[in-house]
Amino acid sequence: MDNTLHQPQRQSSIGVLILFLDTLQKWGRALWPIAVIWIFKFDELNKVYLVLGTIVVVLTIGIVAYLQYRNFTFYLDNENEEFIISEGIFNKTKTIIQLNRIQQVNINQSLIQRLIGVYELDVDTAGSAKKEGKIQAISHPLALALKARLMDNEKKEISSLELEESSQAETLEGRPFMNISFLSLLKVGITSNYVKSLGLILAFFATAYENSRNFIEHSDFDKTKINAYLDRSLAMQSIAIIVMLMLCSILIINLVRTIFKYYDYKITKKNGSLLLSFGLLSTKSTILKPEKVQIVTVTRNYFQRKMNILELKIKQATSGEKEERKSVIEIPGCNEKENEEILKLLFKSIPQKGVMLKPNFRKLVFSIFLSIIVPLTGFFAFANYIEEQLYEYVYLVPLYIFFVGAIVYFGFRNNRLFIHDDFIIKQSGAWDVDNKIIEPGKIQAITTSQLFWHKSVDIGSITIHTAGGNISFQLGNFTLLKQYVNLWLYEMETTNSNWM
Amino acid sequence: MKNFSNETIDTTKLPKFEEVEFSILHTDYWKVTVLNVFLFFLILGGGLSVLLFFNRGLLVFAVGIAVAYFLFLFLVLFFSRISFKKKGFAFRTHDVLFRHGVIATNTIVIPYNRVQHVALHEGLISRYFGLAKIEVFTAGGNASDIEIPGIKKEQAENIKQLLMGKIQKQL
Repeated sequence: MDNTLHQPQRQSSIGVLILFLDTLQKWGRALWPIAVIWIFKFDELNKVYLVLGTIVVVLTIGIVAYLQYRNFTFYLDNENEEFIISEGIFNKTKTIIQLNRIQQVNINQSLIQRLIGVYELDVDTAGSAKKEGKIQAISHPLALALKARLMDNEKKEISSLELEESSQAETLEGRPFMNISFLSLLKVGITSNYVKSLGLILAFFATAYENSRNFIEHSDFDKTKINAYLDRSLAMQSIAIIVMLMLCSILIINLVRTIFKYYDYKITKKNGSLLLSFGLLSTKSTILKPEKVQIVTVTRNYFQRKMNILELKIKQATSGEKEERKSVIEIPGCNEKENEEILKLLFKSIPQKGVMLKPNFRKLVFSIFLSIIVPLTGFFAFANYIEEQLYEYVYLVPLYIFFVGAIVYFGFRNNRLFIHDDFIIKQSGAWDVDNKIIEPGKIQAITTSQLFWHKSVDIGSITIHTAGGNISFQLGNFTLLKQYVNLWLYEMETTNSNWM
Repeated sequence: MKNFSNETIDTTKLPKFEEVEFSILHTDYWKVTVLNVFLFFLILGGGLSVLLFFNRGLLVFAVGIAVAYFLFLFLVLFFSRISFKKKGFAFRTHDVLFRHGVIATNTIVIPYNRVQHVALHEGLISRYFGLAKIEVFTAGGNASDIEIPGIKKEQAENIKQLLMGKIQKQL
């Protein structure tokens, strides 16, 4: 069995059927509207054409599936320790995966595969969302042999992991090292997520308004009377009342949501990792492994600073399922001291802000152009040439300029990049000020970018890619940024830092 | 302990990624790009003529449509040319660099010890010219993967071998 793995080989021959059904499914999904039309017009259609058409489609799919099968090969390169998959009819792709980079090998069986008696084998490496290698039809013994061979390098690690887990089970009972009090949750509830709740409320009012309108129109009310009444009642005072009501409901919704979601938030330390559990109705629990943490975001706004609370969002690198990858661990409402303790656990020391980099004033000019000048030009052009009634709302323009201008200005003022030997911190946000913290060792790749007209003023942008997302900083001192890129590259390339 | 030292790094003396000489893409790749563009515009033109044929009312705008069509074709070719000229790659001892962009110049650097896997891709037209595309994947998601097109097949195989060798060593 082992020898056959080293020769390029095709999938199980019956796999043609799987490929055929797979392609059929894809085409079916794309062509179903045509099929529906056919069914409805069945009597009018020329039966001969219909039958011929169907035969041609099925034949084409069959040939495509067969060619796909013929051109799909996989093998293990023993010498170089690689797993190689070649595929494609016209456009050919050869994927080469280093054995020691393989994180997971899954053997699955869908309903069709079960009927035919073949298995599917997925090979997964760290990070990127899609499966790197996928063999759709493979016999069970071969799949097992392949899996065993692919995971050979991992074996030692896995056994040590299992050991760790069993020892973990014994020391499971630990005292929570942090507990978020009800008071903190109250504080968080009234100070965060304004925009999100506002959106929810607006959506609610919009649907309520729409529904009541429909209801009124359908019943025998005297429409003109109601409209007149509505017009009169929409005076300034009632607008004020509505605004007040909105603000109150935002606060209440926020409070209720926060308390339901995060009630009784406990953090327990356990063998170097953190166990979080929270929730009022259903208790959720997650494990946080410090070595897997990629980006930590510390968020706080003006009110929260006054109340001495802040929120933490933690992104881990995982090699699990898709949903798990996207998940962000949130710790709401810690105070300064608790925050420091958590950060110390995650990073082994408290992140420090080092050298500060500011963006060029052009960033502010560009933001103003994009969020004030362009929309207002659009508004006036539209009002001038198409709908003159829009001029009635012109009193909103100064309000808009003031509001958006404030957001843009504070956004610019808070936009900073701090570079320390062990930490890179990106600060951003107008009202909620985020501090994204990463360690240089967790960097995967770095992109620098410069527009050609910025060459003479020596400004440019940088994007740092990690397994938990990107951090970018625009229009900073390009010479300085490049110097730091060289330093980070040097550090990454001279140490074998474990980024996950 | 004796061998241990911890000197300050002089950042100005580090190797500079911005001063690396980039290799440009194979000239045949420009032909591939042009062929691809023409193929796309052939299909587009076919669609437009069918539309005009069945919808005679639109014939009034025929001149306008033709002008827009050729202007669009010219613009696409122009930007493709700039993009082709700008693309470049370099393999250093410890990392791979790729430069691309049209109005901006983007340079992405991936250290070999962060590479997850490598793929060789040959498109139909590229294959005719004996060209291949190298794709380098990291754990950082789509934005941090690079695709270097327009490399001779044999050279691409060599590069792949080099990359795999570098990954294996871990340093």
